[in-house]
Amino acid sequence: MTVDKGNKLARAGLENGPDGTLATDPKLDSGSQKRIGDQLRAMYDELMQQPVPDRFRDLLDQLDKNGQKDRSQ
Amino acid sequence: MTSEPEPELREALLAAVPSLRAFAISLSGQVDRADDLVQDTLLRALSNLHRFEPGTNLNAWLFTILRNLFHSEYRKRRREVEDPDGSYAGRLKVQPEQGSHLDFEDFRSALAQLPSDQREALLLVGASGFSYEEAANICGCAIGTVKSRVNRARLRLASVLNVTDIDDLGPDSMTRAALQG
Repeated sequence: MTVDKGNKLARAGLENGPDGTLATDPKLDSGSQKRIGDQLRAMYDELMQQPVPDRFRDLLDQLDKNGQKDRSQ
Repeated sequence: MTSEPEPELREALLAAVPSLRAFAISLSGQVDRADDLVQDTLLRALSNLHRFEPGTNLNAWLFTILRNLFHSEYRKRRREVEDPDGSYAGRLKVQPEQGSHLDFEDFRSALAQLPSDQREALLLVGASGFSYEEAANICGCAIGTVKSRVNRARLRLASVLNVTDIDDLGPDSMTRAALQG
């Protein structure tokens, strides 16, 4: 099993990747690459869905107020 | 009569916050520090608005600012902290109280083991949705360098996470044992 995966990896390394990496770079087989990508995006999506902390709204509200003050002067 | 770019700008900046936070948290491994980075990024962006070219990608510009702030702060801290990379792995175990985070703990630990230039490249291209060219602009390096870093990051993650077998990158069981210790 280990040998199979190793061969697969070696074969993948002989091809040019879709992102143009050199043929001599070792490269992940597409299945492994997809699993890594899926996990990365799942972790990231969870972070993206966290509510925006109030401090950032407050900061940008402050910007609005300052902007209006500037214009009224 | 008065032109009001602010409400629009406010919305655009606010809309960028979730992706900036996700990037900053993944980059630094620390939510508090990430939020400080995002706040500094917004302040820096506001005081440099005249340098933003309208019509270009606001998100890419903000990411560039955040990334540069992160690295200048990192260099500063490096002089103060003895083992910044080692402590990063520990810090990444934040928020274990929420069950959903446990699903990603292995992944976060693996991410923490990457050199920061590889982690950054992978996050920009693999998660934040930037092209290789945009990522190269953000990092101030060549496109080929970004491609190579992303590729090495994927190989390393696959090895650490046992997604595939790459024996020459180190014994996974020992790495895992060390991480869990």
